[in-house]
Amino acid sequence: MKAMLFAAAAATTLALAACGGGEPEKPAEPAPAADAAPATPEPVAVAAAPTGPAAMPEPTDIAAYMKARHENYEMLGKNMKVLQDNFQAETPDMAAATAAAVNVKAFADAMGAWFPAGTGPDSGIESEAKANIWTDRATFDAALTKLQTESGKLAAATDAAAFKAQFPATGGSCKNCHDTFREEKKDQ
Amino acid sequence: MDDNKPVESGSATAPTPSKQKVWDAPTRLVHWTLVVCIGLSWWTVENKRMDIHYWSGLTALGLIVFRVYWGFVGPETARFAQFLKGPRTVFTYLGKLFRPDYRASFGHNPLGALSVIALLLAVAIQVGLGLFASDTSYVSSGPLSNLVDYETSEDITELHEDFFNVLLFVIGLHIAAIAFYLVVKRTNLVGPMITGSRKADHVEGPPAGIAPISWVRLLIGMLLAAGVVWLVAR
Repeated sequence: MKAMLFAAAAATTLALAACGGGEPEKPAEPAPAADAAPATPEPVAVAAAPTGPAAMPEPTDIAAYMKARHENYEMLGKNMKVLQDNFQAETPDMAAATAAAVNVKAFADAMGAWFPAGTGPDSGIESEAKANIWTDRATFDAALTKLQTESGKLAAATDAAAFKAQFPATGGSCKNCHDTFREEKKDQ
Repeated sequence: MDDNKPVESGSATAPTPSKQKVWDAPTRLVHWTLVVCIGLSWWTVENKRMDIHYWSGLTALGLIVFRVYWGFVGPETARFAQFLKGPRTVFTYLGKLFRPDYRASFGHNPLGALSVIALLLAVAIQVGLGLFASDTSYVSSGPLSNLVDYETSEDITELHEDFFNVLLFVIGLHIAAIAFYLVVKRTNLVGPMITGSRKADHVEGPPAGIAPISWVRLLIGMLLAAGVVWLVAR
């Protein structure tokens, strides 16, 4: 049913979204590689599974450090997308969901060390990290602990019901921190 | 449905009514609820209440579904077939706008009809994009975001943010046109959208206005709108 609705909505969406690739419903024609200009994203099911956090470089090159941090958060977002998709699915793929939840827990455990002095807005580099991460570290750490707790519970969920019950709390702990410590950026 | 058919003009028995009914209650309710939804959707983004934004958007979806349906089965002035005219009629209307024999259109005027379509389309596109968008915190992502991958959903989220400006532009035109009619033509278009009726002098259409609505069709439309929202959100 959702697929039908998707088709209808996609028609509208594509009217203005010239870039919108990746309709799951496209017939699986083996398209010639040459004319696949802006590489069509793979359908959701076969997309490569996102990984855990990448090791951060030494903060000697501030710009490179902040870029690596941003990419880590992008990867965290990809893991959250997997969890979100399975949360919305009638029968979640528990293997994929658990793997993503374990990754999210790994991000939560690692990210406390990703905000050394000088890597905030005072660097002059565009960032979504707000200055209060450094000035209100206790609140930031409490928010981080909350994410570690909730993502830990999510990773421990063994069945679909437990997973679905715990996912909103995990996203909620992301939001809890974003609301206070993340700057909304247009076109990021 | 034929109770309100106009009495032949010149008939001495039925004096011309002083009020002409131009907008049915469901059309007015959809209009103003949509205004609230658009305002609320903006406010909830600015104030990080994506949980409310989610439902505000889905409510707008239901309103659009109903309005499109109502455009086929509603009373005269709600119907697309009644107000959608070709370019020739639009230009003829523009020519008549400043002539002494100008009379206010019954329902949407030929130019305003285009604005109605633009508004409906803009809201539909905005809501359609939102269905596939992702919330940064994955608390209130679009209900159909699981049908697209991460990058696509991120792109759609950006389009959803950018397209709001297009929606604002179309709304701006709509309000500017209303101001034009109020100031230049001395015609209050807002009042009738609230009360449903307007003064019946110098207007086109049957003196009594639109026919009463069909409750059965209204009920079907409400079920249809709720059904689509339910299918999308579940």
